[in-house]
This record gives sequence, C-alpha cells and structure tokens, in this order.
Amino acid sequence: MLACVRSAMLFGVEGLIIDVQVHVSTGLPSYTVVGLPDAAVRESRDRVRAALLSSGLTWPLRRVTVNLAPSGVRKSGPGLDLPFALALMMAADELPDGVLDGVAVIGELGLDGTLRPVPGVLAMVDALRRAGTSAVLLPADNAPEAALVTGMRILPATSLAQARSALKGEEEWPPPPRSPRSLMDGADGDDIVTDLSVVRGLAGGRKALEVAAAGAHHLFMVGPPGAGKTLLARCLPSVLPPLEDDESLEVTRIHSAAGQPLGGQLVRSRPFRAPHHTASAAALVGGGRGRPSPGEVTLAHRGVLFLDELGEFSPLVLDALRQPLEERVVRIARQGASVAFPADFLLIACSNPCPCGLGPPRCICSEAHRLRYRRRLSAPLIDRFDLRVALGPAAPGDPAGAPSQPMKDRVTEAIARQRRRYRNLPWRRNARIPASALRRAIPLTPAAEDALQQAAYRREWSGRGLACTHRVARTLADLSGTEAISPEHVMLAASLREDVL
Amino acid sequence: MIGDGTRPGIIWNSEAGDSAPASPHRPSATIVTSDHFEDMASEQRRALHAQAAKRGTQLLVVGSPAYPIADDVPGRPKLLFVEGRRPGVLDAPRVAVVGTRAASVHGLTDAWELGAFLGAAGISVVSGLAIGIDGAAHHGALQAAQAADAAHHAALQSRADEQCRDEGWPPSGKDEPPTPAAGPVGVVATGLDIVYPRRHRTLFERVRQYGVLVGEQPFGVPPARGRFPVRNRIIAALADVVVVVEATLSGGSRITAERALDYGRPVLAVPGSRRNPAAAGCNALLADGAQPLLDPSDVLVALGLTPGGRRLWRSAPAATKRQPASAAAASVLKALAGEAAHPDQLASRTGLDPGQVALAVEELVALGLATRDRGFIWPV
Repeated sequence: MLACVRSAMLFGVEGLIIDVQVHVSTGLPSYTVVGLPDAAVRESRDRVRAALLSSGLTWPLRRVTVNLAPSGVRKSGPGLDLPFALALMMAADELPDGVLDGVAVIGELGLDGTLRPVPGVLAMVDALRRAGTSAVLLPADNAPEAALVTGMRILPATSLAQARSALKGEEEWPPPPRSPRSLMDGADGDDIVTDLSVVRGLAGGRKALEVAAAGAHHLFMVGPPGAGKTLLARCLPSVLPPLEDDESLEVTRIHSAAGQPLGGQLVRSRPFRAPHHTASAAALVGGGRGRPSPGEVTLAHRGVLFLDELGEFSPLVLDALRQPLEERVVRIARQGASVAFPADFLLIACSNPCPCGLGPPRCICSEAHRLRYRRRLSAPLIDRFDLRVALGPAAPGDPAGAPSQPMKDRVTEAIARQRRRYRNLPWRRNARIPASALRRAIPLTPAAEDALQQAAYRREWSGRGLACTHRVARTLADLSGTEAISPEHVMLAASLREDVL
Repeated sequence: MIGDGTRPGIIWNSEAGDSAPASPHRPSATIVTSDHFEDMASEQRRALHAQAAKRGTQLLVVGSPAYPIADDVPGRPKLLFVEGRRPGVLDAPRVAVVGTRAASVHGLTDAWELGAFLGAAGISVVSGLAIGIDGAAHHGALQAAQAADAAHHAALQSRADEQCRDEGWPPSGKDEPPTPAAGPVGVVATGLDIVYPRRHRTLFERVRQYGVLVGEQPFGVPPARGRFPVRNRIIAALADVVVVVEATLSGGSRITAERALDYGRPVLAVPGSRRNPAAAGCNALLADGAQPLLDPSDVLVALGLTPGGRRLWRSAPAATKRQPASAAAASVLKALAGEAAHPDQLASRTGLDPGQVALAVEELVALGLATRDRGFIWPV
C-alpha cells in the first residue's frame, strides 16, 4: 500500500515543499528511509513508533519504505515526524484514503504522542500556500504563527490521537486561532525602548541618529568612554517607524526560521541586534555546521545591527561584513547547495577615538599607539559608513534632551517622502540608491553641485565619499520637507562625514 | 650615561655594501662605536672611508675645522657623519626646534611658522626629523630655504642679464649675491643610510637637498629606544638656542632641554593651555625657569641678534586675517576662544543649532580661519 503526504521543511530562511511517500508491503518487518535524511530525520522512526504505540495504535509488522521527495536535497529537522506517522497510518489502512488530499502536515512527535512545535512554521506555511496547498495540519502551539499567512486553513492538533480522530471525522477540529494580525495592528509589542529624553547634550550625535534613521545611512560614532555612544544607539528603536506590512511578514518569517521566540505575533517593530564583540564570523553573517543558520546580519534585516566597540571585533569578522553591506544579502555556499540570507540592515557602530579614550584635544596617546589602534579598523569598512561623527565630551550642565516622539514624526515623514519618490524603483531609502542611478534619481541644482565638489575637494574624498554625501544631503532635504537639495544640505551632509579617527 | 656617547653594542658592518644594511646574510659584523675610530684597525678605517666616499658622506672628527660642536661640550662624539648638499648650513647660527610626536594642531602650526621664520632670518633649524613638532619645524625651514633659493636664482639671473648688457659675456663674477646660508639640520639616531620613521623618507630627501643630515652612528645602525636620548644630546650640542614647542611631561624633548642647560644654551619654551597635555612639558620648563617664547623674534634676542620688523605672533592676528561674512561664523569663531572645541560645545556656547554651527564651521574652514581634526574644530 502506498500513501503520500505533503509537508515542508526549512531551507535557509525559506520553506521547501517535501513529499513524504510511505510504502508498506509484505516481507520481513523493516523500516528504511531514503531521500537524503539527516540524523534527526532518521531518528524519527523511534519517535513515530513510540508515539503510535502510546496513542493506542499499532506499528505495522511489515516492510516499510519511506521516501522523501525531492530526493536530491538533504532533509533535516524533526518536523517530518507527523507526516511520517500519518502517511504510515494511511498506508496501513488505519486512516481512510483521501483525508489528507490538499492538506499539508508539519509537526514533531513526543514519545507520548503529543505534538511539539517546530521552528520556521511561518516560512513553511507561506511556501505551502504558494505551492497551492489550502490547509495545513500542525501542532497547536504553532497555529497562531501559521495563522499569520492569509488564505490558509489551519488545522491545529495537540496529539496524534486527536489528529487521527479529527481526520476520521469522529470529532471536530478545534477552532483556528484568530489571526493575530488585527490584534497586533498599531501596537508595538511590549519591548521597553529607551527614549531620547534620557540623553543629555550630544546635539550633533542626535542629528546624526535622525539622519541615519530617516535615510538608512550607516552611522559610525566615535567618542570618549561615557560620552553616551551606546545610550544614543540604544535610543534608535524609539525613533524608527514600525515595519511596513510586507516587511513585517518577511522579518517574522526570518525570525521564525531562526527559532526566535515570536509568541504567535508578527514582528512589527524593527529588529535591533547588538552582538557582543567576541562574535564569530559565522555568528555574525550566518553559516555554521550542517544546515546553514542565519547570522546576526540576517536577524537585523530591515532593522538595526549595532556593533559596540567596533575595534574590539576580530578584523576577519568585520571584513566578512563588507559583502553583505554591499549586496544586502549573504550567500553561504555549501557542497551541493547555496543559501541566500537577506541582510538589509542599518549598521550603527561605536568606537573610542584612541587607546586613552580622551579624544583629540586632551589625548595623551603617542602617534604610534593611535595608528596601531586605528589600524584595527579596516579603512574600506570605515569608508562604507555614510555618517561618521565624533561625539563631544559630556558637559555636566547639558540640559535634558527632547523626547523621541518629535524626531520619530520627522523620520516617519521623511521615510514616507522617500517611498513616494521611489515607488516604481527597486530601492526604498536614500542610502540604497545605486551610485550609477544617483544623478538621475536625485538631481542636484548647480549651486548644490558646486558645494558638493568644493566639500569633496577640501576633504580629498573618493568617489564613494561624494556619492554618500549626495545621498545624505537628500535625506537632510527630506527631513526638512523640501524637494530641492540646497547647498546648505550638502555642506551639512559633508560635515556629518568627517575623518573621526 | 646619556652624555658619554659611548654605548656598546653598536654594529657597524665593515663589509656589506651600503644598499643592504638589513640583509639577513650579513657577513661577520664588527662591533665598533664612533669613539673607537682612532683605535680602529686601518683596514676597517679604510672600509669606512670607502663606504663614506661612495655615499658622499663627510666624516668630521674632533679638531677638524668643519667639526660643528663647540669644545666646551662634554662627551661630544669624536666622529660625526654628515650628509647633504649644503654643509654650509652648519656655519649659520643654529637653533633647535624640538617637541612631542603627539602634537596638537596648534603646536604643529607654531613649529612650522617658527621653522619658516628662522629659515627666512638666515638661521639653521636643528631638529630630530621625528613625526610631529620636529617634522613640522623642518618643513617650515625647508619652505624658507626653497624660497631663499628661488630668490637667489632670480638675483643671479638678473645680474647675469645686466652684466651681459653692460660688459658682454662672460660676466666678471665680482660682487655675487651671497648664497643662502641657512637650512634644515636633521640629527638622526640611526646610521645615515637608515630612514626612520619611514613615513618621513621624502622629508629626509628634502633635508639632504637643502641642508644636512647629521649622525654619530655608523652605517647600518637600526633605530632603538635607547639611541634617541643619546641623539638628543647632539641636537642640544649643535644648537645655540633650544626652543621646545610642545612637549609632554615625560617626552624626549625635556631631555634635549636638560642637556642644553648642561651645555649652557638658552632654552625657550612655548607656553600652552593647562588643558593641553601636549603643553604640560613646556609649562613645566617655564616653571623651572626657561624663557617663554611668545613670538619667533624672541629667538633672535636669545641669539643676541637684534629683532627687526613687527612681532609676528603678538600683533593681533585677527586684524591681518579675513573676517567671516556671516554673523553665525563670527560668533562661532569667538566661541572657539583660541582653543579646540567640539561642535556641540560651540552650539551650547553660541545658542545656535548643530546645523548652523556646521555651516559656520564650513565657512571658517573655507576662509582658513579654522581646521578640523578628528571631529574637533581648531582656530588657526
């Protein structure tokens, strides 16, 4: 007897459709899995067997062959337990034929027959919907997350026995969870974000933060210890508008695939990732043994990647950042397959100015020490920051700063202007305009062009410096609500890109 | 220890060519110091002479007429190596301009201006070719030497033209304009065939062209921590006056100043803000009785010359420079108050917003009234 059940597994951060075929025939009792299973899949035999027996069912004492199609891709993860069990029951006539037509099955089994949740359900269900499946049977704990995919019938189950009786029509399916999308609209979760009102002084740093948030410009802050670099960076989420709908689904899918706790809710606020400086290259950009897993740059997709004490990161790790910064995607090649992880993030980095940390006017470091410190940061990486500011020494009399809300309003408005301007173009934010399209996409008046050339001449800039300043000037104009870039915008943009080390 | 000049372990390679001092296949090296020159085997001495002749190096021994260090200096090196196209610069009055490697923008500007002033006044600038103050002083002196050179050539040319007109070719050659006598004197702590620091290799070449390089170490001696204080005593001994522009409390410039006092040379120090760690050494020297240098012409007084003309630094500098056009730039310039400041500090002092401050700074930089250094604004 042959039975076939549709399922899915994770491949990178995308779902991949898997067909589980089970053949039961006469012969010596045996159980064979073919189709490139990994250890977790191979072990599923023992889980499925125990779960069947615990649920009061029998394990067929016949020859069982399981095939996982497409057979060329390595299968991984425990989410194929439930499809094995149901296909086996169908092949052994424990379930009527046809009950699983048009229904996909995902889930891990416990030895007692309960269903356990699996990571990445959102990506898998989304892939199943695109493949034309209309319903999915999965663990009840995964149901709220799966319900985020519209147009999919969700069949939640808590145990193998319950799934079996519901499939046979002996009992009703539990009601599917209400789509949390409506519940979540407008709410920003209950994360505690630091408000800018706690930051005293740092007028220049605040301005740079606003520009970074509005135009998605990478920001490098240098300042003495205690100046407030980290505090300022931590305030960034409080001025960022929530994710747009398509971005939200995309980010939720990535976080679901990476096993981040979601609570069955869409991620609405922009991710803020702050890996420690001992992070390895694989932790930062993704990779790892076996199935490549997404790194911090991918978890920061559409959000912020904050690298505190940039000079303390290993130079190899920082160099690995250069490719995702350019292409906004991480490609990890493995024998047989390569995985692409999206990595469109806003990079915020901090550093001390020199080993003594005091900064230019009071620095006591020798030239050689300073150069050695500076050499830890590769010049090509520093060149990729559109905004480079030195934070001033904190003065005790600085007044408490303005709260985040007015800045958030300006940033939201500036982002809306960019969306309108670039609605038919492949980029969304000023910082993402390719250099080749710059002159066409955001033209400069002759006066502004003149100011740009002068600023570049005085600072001995490369072509990249010129292009970055052009983009930042556009963001400054967006923040001030004007369509034309004035020479003042260009000069301000130039002053936000100093040689700070 | 510092003054005796005989430090063991200095390696002079008598056989290897001058082009490969750091060759791993160095043949049997002989340990000598320049003080052993007289005791040297004649064979070694011949090799040294051959190498010096090949490089165009002068070997000046104590007692020879060109030997530049006065008799009253204890422990002066018995042999000096001198290279450069203008050995005559050692005959001009010599002033040492020394200071820290971690100099501030103001210190570098002062050193450059001082070097240029002295060069234009016909005084040779002695320094150590290091990063920071030393290099800036040399660059200033080079600027003056180049200008003097150009003026000299122009004068020669016009005189030749005149004489051709009056007397016909060839010119008689009487009352030629004097050739420029002053130039940079770079005192090195290594052999003269080594360039240290590497970043200054162009500076080394230019000093060779317009002045001289002086050292006491034989060819092939690499830089080492202990050799710089030893070198500093030569700077002090060569100078008639020592000027310290910016020095940290623990830097080598203070050693130079101490040696100068030992040798009875006047020491001048440029006073600085107590907030500037690079000025702490100068201020300490002043507290110990060094003369303050408030204007380059103070050096002329210390040399016993008559300062002429106006005071370069003391005359109100603002009057001679261009004034900023906008009110914001003027108030930012005022708020700088002669010291480095961060734009945030300027914003809180002037009440302008950060954008206005940035634009004002842009204007000041364009006018040459301020410069930026790692995010801070310095008035020039």
